[in-house]
Amino acid sequence: MKTRIILITLIISSWVACRKDKSIIDGPSISETYSTFKIIEAFKADKSTVDFSAGEKVTFSASFNKSVSWKINVLGKTSKAQKTISGDGKFINVSNALWNGSTTKYPIFKAEECVATLSIKDVTDTFSLSITISQAKKIEGLMIADFEGGLNSAWTKFIQTGANMDFKVKTDSLAPQGAKYLNMAGTVNWDYLIGMIDYPATAYGGNNTLALDANPENVYFNCLIYGVPNTNQSSVLFQFKEDENADGTISATTEDEYDYEIKVDWEGWKLVSLKYSDIATLVNGSPATPKGNGQHNPDKIGKISMLHLANPNDGFASTKIDMIVFTTGKPIEP
Amino acid sequence: MYRKIYIILFIILAFLNAEAQIDKKVSFIGSARSLLKTNILDVNDTLPDTVSVKKNNGGYALMDMGVMIKPNNHTEILGMFRIRNEYGGFWGSGVSFDVRQLWLKGVVGNAVRYQLGDINLKQTPFTLYNHHADQIDSLPSVFDLQRNIVSYERFYMKNNTWRMQGANVDFGFTFSKLIKEVNFSGLITRLAATNFSTTPDRLMSGASMQVVQSKAFQIGYNINSTFDVLGTIADSNMFKNTIHTIDWKCIKYIKLNPLSLNGEVGRSKYYYTKDTLAPNLKDYFVHANLQYNIVKWNLKIQVGYLNVGADFRSIGAQSKDINYAAQPTYFNRYTNAQSIRPFTLFDVIGNENIYNRTITPTLMGTNAVFNNIMPYGMATNNRNGAYVKLNYKTKNDIAINAEYYKLDEIRGQGTFALKHFDMLKVYANIPVNRLVGLSKKINIQAGMNLQNTHRKSSEAIENIDLTSIQWNAGFKVELFKDFDFIAGYIQQNTSGNEFTTDRNTYQQIIYFNIANYKLKQEIMAAGVRYNFGAKTYLCLLYQQSKYTDKAGNNASFGMNQYGVIYNISL
Repeated sequence: MKTRIILITLIISSWVACRKDKSIIDGPSISETYSTFKIIEAFKADKSTVDFSAGEKVTFSASFNKSVSWKINVLGKTSKAQKTISGDGKFINVSNALWNGSTTKYPIFKAEECVATLSIKDVTDTFSLSITISQAKKIEGLMIADFEGGLNSAWTKFIQTGANMDFKVKTDSLAPQGAKYLNMAGTVNWDYLIGMIDYPATAYGGNNTLALDANPENVYFNCLIYGVPNTNQSSVLFQFKEDENADGTISATTEDEYDYEIKVDWEGWKLVSLKYSDIATLVNGSPATPKGNGQHNPDKIGKISMLHLANPNDGFASTKIDMIVFTTGKPIEP
Repeated sequence: MYRKIYIILFIILAFLNAEAQIDKKVSFIGSARSLLKTNILDVNDTLPDTVSVKKNNGGYALMDMGVMIKPNNHTEILGMFRIRNEYGGFWGSGVSFDVRQLWLKGVVGNAVRYQLGDINLKQTPFTLYNHHADQIDSLPSVFDLQRNIVSYERFYMKNNTWRMQGANVDFGFTFSKLIKEVNFSGLITRLAATNFSTTPDRLMSGASMQVVQSKAFQIGYNINSTFDVLGTIADSNMFKNTIHTIDWKCIKYIKLNPLSLNGEVGRSKYYYTKDTLAPNLKDYFVHANLQYNIVKWNLKIQVGYLNVGADFRSIGAQSKDINYAAQPTYFNRYTNAQSIRPFTLFDVIGNENIYNRTITPTLMGTNAVFNNIMPYGMATNNRNGAYVKLNYKTKNDIAINAEYYKLDEIRGQGTFALKHFDMLKVYANIPVNRLVGLSKKINIQAGMNLQNTHRKSSEAIENIDLTSIQWNAGFKVELFKDFDFIAGYIQQNTSGNEFTTDRNTYQQIIYFNIANYKLKQEIMAAGVRYNFGAKTYLCLLYQQSKYTDKAGNNASFGMNQYGVIYNISL
């Protein structure tokens, strides 16, 4: 009995001695949570002038005496573009506050003066600094339409003759990228279609198909669409028509067409991005079987049709579009 | 509804007929209860409460009827139906028919025992065990009537089992040399059924092997594993909690007095297979105690050591019987703001709605007012320390029990400073009639539970000092043959400060809320009980409770209750 007790006690003691709990705690520090907020290292940026077109980035930094919820909002003084970066913790640094010139709230940033403002939850004070964008971030990818040169003569347009039709390229402060965008508005009370534009592949280098990666998992379609407040709902339908044999003729009965309908149920500019392989074939809005080889072939897209649709019973419909672009590897981050 | 009644009556008559034909192969068991209550709420808020309903009448009558079938000497089948009728139910609208329990058990080849269906399961205090951690140890018998109803409704047996659905099996071997016997047991139960989209099938399995070397020494190995079944939903992220333990018992007799060294050690793992954000918790525990029983003096002394790691997780042993997130039956909202009414002793004693029947996969919420020291019983994680227990019984059957726990945290909560815990329980049962030589039974109960939590830190904000003292007294006197007067009183005062925690979906602490207490709870009950037999009684009861919160966390209130309980057990 005595030996057993000694043996068991020794085993237990050696096991318990292995604990390392004293070096960690559960949950956030109470003293930090309930201490008065103090900024230890002032809010700053590593650059006062940045050239995003050359791939430069801005790193924000600050540190605090306690873990907080923080938010940095960068406002373009001219464009009114905004970039928001947020996080939790005691430190703001390169790991959580790196800005590559991208935009959170459109329009996108131009070459302009910006103000970056740091705000902290439950703290009244805010902290600001200035940054100058010498060159804005480049839009990379295959640009289908940014409307900076107006409506390309190689594109095919069809615009209904309804009331209050305004299917034109505009140049005003609403432009989210560059200086221009396409306005699509009007009342067509006999048809869903208000207007449409065909973008043939031949308009982009002369080939019968677009010069895109063959892997549909790598190709992303992107565009900026504007939802007009207090109007009837618009839809923008994109039809990606593949010329699978590259003969310059699109056959609706023997070649694939993939369709993406965007119901514009928001207000203001919104970036829409999706992977080409995720786009389905639609017939009257319902999924259907493609008529061609049944494979997504982005490198065989022969034509893209863009249709502005609205319920004819609803009356006037309006939307705007800009920066229709394909990117490779990931969605665009303008 | 009528069709169901006809089917049940047909089954009953069929069994009655079977009983007549096959002597003693079919028998009936069951119980019936009728409960009628009137509850009155009295709110003491800064503004008079003109919104809440202050009176509640209700009750029910129910009958549980079970049919026990013994098709042969080695097999038993029990099916039990419940018919319940809410008072005030109109034309059968308040009537419900349920299957209360259904099981089959037997012996294969006179060697292997098995049971299927609804089964009461338990392994060790660290693998699968219903600790009833927040229960009052010395509950006066007037309150025991209500707790017995809760226990019956939730299948709480006196042996700390959980009611589950599945199968268990046990068998053993005996040997002539070296070891005396080896016993095996195994279980598998289904904790949750898949909904085919977000919830997978969740099973619990367990096994034990006990090696009895002699009367003086036995050692065992236990495993308990809870796991999701891959493929029952599209998501492949599966939960798993596994505990391995070794337990032992050594006994040596010093003259006629047994001295035993008992204990259990083990480790646990708790994780999700794919979710990289989920914690992967591994930890261990140690529990050992030395017990000496002086037979001549009716005195039992126990000294124990406990060390349960902060990350030790065992859902079978850390599920609580009380669910503090549940809603109380009566007056769940009160005051003009319709605030949620806090739990009181009134609820903890007799509100069956707040009691769990199943175990839960995450650490359940605790309540510092009712138990801040060991909210998950002996399996409470993050505890290290020792305890002493004394049990003494005089020749006149006066029973005195005392327990003292001195524990510390192992890992700090929001600070490196550790909490220290003290808990002292003393309770006694005094058969007065035996002391004074009366033939009619007179019994007095008394108990006390003192809990203190304190933490001293270099940062004043982190300091904690919370004291909760609960004391109770009970009285039972036999006025006439089978006719008792019963009364009881419990008071609990909680004062000081603690931190309550906000947790994320993985039960990790994300915030500490300051909680100050200055709370007094009282409950008093008195009634008369007529015993028709050992298990059949009629009781008239009056109960009064008060909840006085001077810290201003909740509005003070009182609840009174008149009740009639008629209970029959076959």
